[in-house]
Amino acid sequence: MPYDAMSDSSDEDLLAAYAAGEPAAARALTLRLGPKAFGVAMRMLKDRAEAEDVAQEALLRLWRAAPGWRTGEAKVSTWLYRVVSNLCIDRIRKARGGHVDLDAVAEPPDPARSVEQELQETARGAALQAALDRLPERQKQAVILRHLEGLANPEIAEIMDIGVRAVESLTARGRKALEGLLGARRAELGYDDE
Amino acid sequence: MSEKRRAEEAGLGPWFEAGRAEAPAPSGDWLARMEAMALEEQPAAPMPEVADLAARPRRGPRLHDLIPALGGWPAVAGLAAACAAGVWLGAVTPAGLSGWTSGTTSLTASDSYTTFEPASGFDVAMLGY
Repeated sequence: MPYDAMSDSSDEDLLAAYAAGEPAAARALTLRLGPKAFGVAMRMLKDRAEAEDVAQEALLRLWRAAPGWRTGEAKVSTWLYRVVSNLCIDRIRKARGGHVDLDAVAEPPDPARSVEQELQETARGAALQAALDRLPERQKQAVILRHLEGLANPEIAEIMDIGVRAVESLTARGRKALEGLLGARRAELGYDDE
Repeated sequence: MSEKRRAEEAGLGPWFEAGRAEAPAPSGDWLARMEAMALEEQPAAPMPEVADLAARPRRGPRLHDLIPALGGWPAVAGLAAACAAGVWLGAVTPAGLSGWTSGTTSLTASDSYTTFEPASGFDVAMLGY
């Protein structure tokens, strides 16, 4: 099957074609899923090299799972988001040097710079990222998947291995925290003029 | 974007829009390496099944292709019977024919030309003999 003919194929069909040895499917899936995996990892980890490592590991696991993939059991993108999220959480925990309740503990404030000082130096997107980095990891993860990746709550619940109500709670708390962090900067970043 | 999501975002909507617009993108070099890795990890295309090989067209005709061309099984049976009879007549001369065949094998110069000539008298006349 030529590459152009694959643009309308579902991820599941492409993965089946990949497992059947179709080279065009390998290219199509890489271009479709690679940026997604990298994007989530980058938002979670804030480090390009680490995000590339995590996304590469997730893709490698996907290629190796392809021959045994059972159609209809899970969406390929959901599976990939889940692997990326778990790898990111593992890295964050290792960086912190121990097991902590990531939902209960917020990022400690940087004594050298306040949130206001950081936001003064950033544009709107970067300001949002800076505020996201202040959230507890599970809230951050849920908000990224819901509002930046555009996923539905049931899919996020599957990715995070929690219930839909827990997702709604995490995103609500995350949004409330973001409003507090970003509200003071609205005028400076031009939102009050719109 | 769904109405539910829009309502959820409310005042944060412009921030999320900015975040979506500035999605982190991987480098082309990294994507190229990921594509190479995908191809390297890809299972080989499966070998054709035995059934597929059997379904492939053969180069030359087989016996069961020739039978219809010869007129079907009855015609082939007739040909086989005629062949067997010819072999039998050649190998074991029946008693009724032994006198005739021995006569043909002991011809002398004075014997008629037409004694053993398979051509008819008409054919000989046309040739001017």
